[in-house]
Amino acid sequence: MAELARPTGGGLAVYGRLVSAGVRGRVYRPGWLLVRTIGSGLIILADGFAVALVVDRFGTLAGWSAPEVVLLVALSAAGQGLGLLLGDRLEPTYFSELVRRGTFDQVLVRPTSPLAWLIATQVEARYVGRLLAGVGMVAWAADRSGVVWSGGHLLVALLALVCCATLVLSICVLGAALTFATVEGSEVVNIFIYGGVTLTGYPVQIYGSVLRFLFVWVVPFALAVYVPALVLLGRTGPPGLPAALIWVSPVATAGFTGLAALGWRHGLRHYVGTGS
Amino acid sequence: MRAYLALVSAGFRRQAAYRLALVSGLLTNLFFGVVRTSLFLALYQARPEAAVNGLDYQDALTYVWMIQALFGVIWVSWIWEFPESVRSGDFVTELTRPGDPWLRQLAYELGRTGQLLVFRSTLPLLGAALVLPLALPTTVPGALATVASMLLAVVVSFEVRYLFGLAAFWTADFRAPFSIAFPLLWLVGGFTIPVDYFPGPVRAAAEASPLSAMVMAPIHVAIGWPAWPVLAGQAAWVVVLGLVSRGGLALACRRMVVHGG
Repeated sequence: MAELARPTGGGLAVYGRLVSAGVRGRVYRPGWLLVRTIGSGLIILADGFAVALVVDRFGTLAGWSAPEVVLLVALSAAGQGLGLLLGDRLEPTYFSELVRRGTFDQVLVRPTSPLAWLIATQVEARYVGRLLAGVGMVAWAADRSGVVWSGGHLLVALLALVCCATLVLSICVLGAALTFATVEGSEVVNIFIYGGVTLTGYPVQIYGSVLRFLFVWVVPFALAVYVPALVLLGRTGPPGLPAALIWVSPVATAGFTGLAALGWRHGLRHYVGTGS
Repeated sequence: MRAYLALVSAGFRRQAAYRLALVSGLLTNLFFGVVRTSLFLALYQARPEAAVNGLDYQDALTYVWMIQALFGVIWVSWIWEFPESVRSGDFVTELTRPGDPWLRQLAYELGRTGQLLVFRSTLPLLGAALVLPLALPTTVPGALATVASMLLAVVVSFEVRYLFGLAAFWTADFRAPFSIAFPLLWLVGGFTIPVDYFPGPVRAAAEASPLSAMVMAPIHVAIGWPAWPVLAGQAAWVVVLGLVSRGGLALACRRMVVHGG
């Protein structure tokens, strides 16, 4: 680790080396890592299969066919995979461990940004499985629902993936910031990480106004996934949430990320350790 | 016997200490319950009267909230405590205590899940029943059968988790086998959609598996399936899985090496 601590003109290169050290530390049993990578992808395929099955059994869900709904599930799953690849270890269940044991105090004295250090050293390689399974499912669903892969559509899909991943990572950061105050981890953050992604897997018009408002304008998962899916499928969208809002998606995501960054800075500034 | 009852009560009291976890668990149940209710209301909107594969929309809503009631007691939050204790070596002290280690653990877990059944499972069910047309039992025998079926599901869940926990005797990365089996459990167990919607052969396979005793059985009893055959099937799985998990423990103890000084 001595070479890592050397404050040479590294910048990003330091973080690159931290990521590689962290990942290498976790692959000491490559067989089991592979199993867990496959497992993290399978769970998404199981979800997609169940959704396809149930929508198919009933014909449509709010006018959406089974492959069209699977496209929503797949986009949000891929985004979640990418987000958790970077942010999983910031979830309160893990992060409270660092705070309680005082390990986080050591992070603070390192010559790096604490948040960047946490993310870089704790990359969870197994979520690559979820990302890949999600992308594969996007390809299947897009094919079945007649999406034409023009350059613009590829960009829109990429936008959805990046926005969704950014939101998941931002929620993880907010959860960690909250843990500075609560010390004990709280499951409530999972409502937004897993619940937000579950909710985004279905067309937004099935929800009541409260849930809709929450997930369009507060934690903008609907703008990040649902609206790009409307564009891909050539749909106009329900009243109040037209496909034209695609231009708002990156802005809303950036806004939420900014809030998460402020929350983290506030938490860090008031962090006093747990004593002993 | 009195020792085991003391363990049940100790488990109950321990679980009662986690108030914050109870509140956040209830919020999680509420959130997922509302999302799944929206889904099934939208699905049944096109044909409100018709039953799909034997489930009408009241049955489907009952399924949604029964799953929320069961989730906390089936996939318990302390799922990794047993394998962790094997890895750290603490489990050895369990073997030196009087009585049967498997039964002691079951008794303690029944206490913990009992607390959750009383405080976490009832609230979402009763709350949902106030505002939605759930198909919950309205007679005393029906209600008792549902509670009995939930208790049997808890025991089956303990045995299934025990089998996965035993992996810790063979590998330090005991979560890996679970992570690959979990998607199958999730789907075939009926956590995400009712097993009743599956195509014929898959449905038959799912209903013949122990997972049905853990997830769908209490739901079927709640929506008014004849209770005795379902309860008998669950009891049979309790016995079979009990024998298998105890056999696994015996095997593990024989190959166990205690490190340290």
